[in-house]
Amino acid sequence: MQRRSKTNKEDEADTTSTPQDNNKGTSQEIQLHPSLEENLKSISKAIGNSDDVVIRKIKLGKEGCIEAGIIYTDGIVDTKSINDFILESLMIDFDYEGNSDSKRDLLDCLRDSVVAVGNIQECKDFEKIYSSLFSGHVIVLINGFTRGFTIDLSGGKDREVAEATQESVVRGPREAFTESLRTNTALIRRKINDSNLWVESKRIGRVTKTQVSVMYIKGIVNDKVLEEVRERLDRIEIDGILESGYIEELIEDKTFSPFPTIYNTERPDVVAACLLEGRVAILVNGTPFVLVVPSLFTQFFQAAEDYYQRWDFSTLIRFLRLICFFIALLAPSIFIAVTTFHHEMIPTPLLISLASQREGVPFPAFVEALIMEVTFEILREGGIRMPRAIGQAVSIVGTLVIGTAAVEAGIVSAAMVIVVSITAIASFVVPSNNMGISIRMIRFIFMGLAASFGIFGITAAFIAMILHLCSLRSFGIPYMSPFGPFNAEDQKDSLFRFPHWGLVSRPHLMNQKNVNREDSPSPTPPENQ
Amino acid sequence: MLRKTITLLYIFLLILCTTGCWNRVELNELAISVGQGIDKEEDKYKVSTQIVIPSEVALKAGASSGIPVTLFTGTEETVFEAMREITTVSPRKIYHSHLRILVIGEELAKEGIGKVLDFYARDHEYRTDFFIVIAKETTAENILSMLTTIEKIPANNMLSSLETSEKTWAPTTSVTLHELIRSLVTEGKSPVLTGIEIKGDPSIGDNVQNIEQINPAAYLKYSGIAVFKRDRMLGWLNKEQSRGYNIVMDNVKNTVANVQCPTEGEMNFEVIQSKTKVKGKVENGTPKIEVSIEAEGNIGEVKCAIDLTKPKAIYELEKQTEDSFEKLTQETIKTVQEDFGVDIFGFGDVIHRSDPELWKKLKKDWNEKHFTDLDVNVKADIKIRRLGKIGNSFLPEMKE
Repeated sequence: MQRRSKTNKEDEADTTSTPQDNNKGTSQEIQLHPSLEENLKSISKAIGNSDDVVIRKIKLGKEGCIEAGIIYTDGIVDTKSINDFILESLMIDFDYEGNSDSKRDLLDCLRDSVVAVGNIQECKDFEKIYSSLFSGHVIVLINGFTRGFTIDLSGGKDREVAEATQESVVRGPREAFTESLRTNTALIRRKINDSNLWVESKRIGRVTKTQVSVMYIKGIVNDKVLEEVRERLDRIEIDGILESGYIEELIEDKTFSPFPTIYNTERPDVVAACLLEGRVAILVNGTPFVLVVPSLFTQFFQAAEDYYQRWDFSTLIRFLRLICFFIALLAPSIFIAVTTFHHEMIPTPLLISLASQREGVPFPAFVEALIMEVTFEILREGGIRMPRAIGQAVSIVGTLVIGTAAVEAGIVSAAMVIVVSITAIASFVVPSNNMGISIRMIRFIFMGLAASFGIFGITAAFIAMILHLCSLRSFGIPYMSPFGPFNAEDQKDSLFRFPHWGLVSRPHLMNQKNVNREDSPSPTPPENQ
Repeated sequence: MLRKTITLLYIFLLILCTTGCWNRVELNELAISVGQGIDKEEDKYKVSTQIVIPSEVALKAGASSGIPVTLFTGTEETVFEAMREITTVSPRKIYHSHLRILVIGEELAKEGIGKVLDFYARDHEYRTDFFIVIAKETTAENILSMLTTIEKIPANNMLSSLETSEKTWAPTTSVTLHELIRSLVTEGKSPVLTGIEIKGDPSIGDNVQNIEQINPAAYLKYSGIAVFKRDRMLGWLNKEQSRGYNIVMDNVKNTVANVQCPTEGEMNFEVIQSKTKVKGKVENGTPKIEVSIEAEGNIGEVKCAIDLTKPKAIYELEKQTEDSFEKLTQETIKTVQEDFGVDIFGFGDVIHRSDPELWKKLKKDWNEKHFTDLDVNVKADIKIRRLGKIGNSFLPEMKE
């Protein structure tokens, strides 16, 4: 509880320093009026009499001599708590008698001994009132005071913590983040019970005022990266943040790159692991996808399960993913290049078999591949946007389109169907969805080059791609590390995954000061007696 | 920055257009040539090329004529021209990279093959891993017109058959273009090529009915090795001599040798590992060649009464086998020395390496004089390792 209140204090501290809002300049810095009536009127006017905001006047205590106003937004507050802890305590239980000498004491008295809610703060101006009002606070104003207080009773309908849908695992925790920022920070807190896990919050978005929290472990985090994150977040000047994707695009190192330099995940355990490695997590209210920076190329090929399964299997799976990366990237282009330029590279029986499949196919191999790839992308996209109920119909039609029907119709060759299918499946083996998307995009460039230059074109494009990858940085950390720049020790957890007792150090570039991770000895059998 | 990017993009797009996909050929625009043959027709070359019909070869159900290949021919003054003339017959571009076998007519071989080989070595589409054989007593065109069983594509059939027989029987030898050219230009080594002949009636060989019988009336068979002097064919080695040749050349991996039993009858010796070393030395100004054969093997078949369980008998058999190996090779070398007088074994090359000074004197008339009189000493060292599934033969017991 202590920790929570501290976090909230920070929230509020940041809120006051958010950039000035030009659209609603009228309500800026305007202090509360002593008259309750005036105050309620101006609030009501400012919000345009929106009827989801409840404005109520009550009389304090049994005698009912002091007027007070209660304002809250219906739907995002816990109505039962309002009844129990505010209305009931203020209207029935409150007995204001002896301390009537000082008006100042009334507020303190209310705050300290009447309202039985944890997070309660004073407010003096309207700006503060509005920001609290719409984040689930209840505002209590008392006639005759130029101060009121806000009580955090945020509640209402939130989605339950559910099973991860994007990154499912066979072994490992099932829970995933939800849309509620508070739930999400709590999920991480539950994994890391250390006082060094710090949360910095701020509101971004002139209109939406979305709450964004930066989480890190003090003492492990790379301070330079943290400073960079703060700076980049401060630079954001936008009317609204509706998803972490907004932030990702606004703070990433290079927009014109097909490769993602910011990792996103919906798994609390992944975020916890990243924090322990010295990375910084950026949580955005309203989305279950949490950003993690800095993120490296290898990270997109690692899954949470790698660390829960046996190390040898994990290593093999990582190699499999790398192979799949190359298949997804190059399979159609190499097929095009080899079948249209380098026939001599194919073994004779295979060449004859391929040639017989192509008999009667009216398109060049490149167009054929393009048709199939685009068809697949259409099906993929259609499958996502389609209402669930139609999904099954789509998959049936889809199998026909990129299946035997297409071959029997003589539009594409059977070999091309195989190549496109394995490519499609391989691109989903990559655990990170946005890396999968990158691969699928670059694939088309490779295909075009393969169709006009053959293997030569593929090689040139591949070299260009590697150069580009090596030039990328994620918050100052080279994207291709630990391969380029090479770090021998960090190889333990990049392509390979050493047993846990072997993962002694944190990634070196990520973290320079607190590198030692553990001192567990490798398990040894007991000595013979 | 933006301007620069757009310019670069524009240049890139232009580059894509300028290539015009210069070498791009779709698979169904290719006529895959798997076998080629060259014959002499008056003073022109007749080039025949065996083209695969992919739809007939594929494992697709449905009606098909059953003929997996077609043959196009062209006749011109040079091979290259003749090859281009074929395009007037073929609807597709002839694609040579997958050539499996090149057949040279015997008539042409006798006149000299050197001139036609230049094209095959020069043209970029040809890989040099195809085998070259001689059409024995027929034309290359006839050989390529034969349909074959099991392997549907005749050229493939010829290739596999040559590979298999070389590995397990050893009367044939596979020669690729590189090897042939190397032995053509090496001093003290004359080339050889395996022969292929048509057994049965050649006129029905190109008919589907021929391969629809269990026992085809006409079929292709490798037989003998053609001996060349430079690029001109001299004659044929028979089956045994071909084996002897392969033993000396260390081409044998696995073969069968006939061995005389100590008592009456014969037995077979299966060679599973063989290594032949040829060493040259010069004694008193005369070159000498020592051929040492080391072979290991098993007893393959016994047709006589012999107690194989006794080590002594095995030693004796080893001796016998050694003798028979030595005899075979000696006889082969002698025949070549006497009948052809060309050094197909590359003994001259061995002498060249052991005594370069002397070679300078000898090389002028090596084939004519020195090779024919060359003293070749053959020594075989045979080890019998295993007897097979049974020990002694049951044949003697049966007699009682």
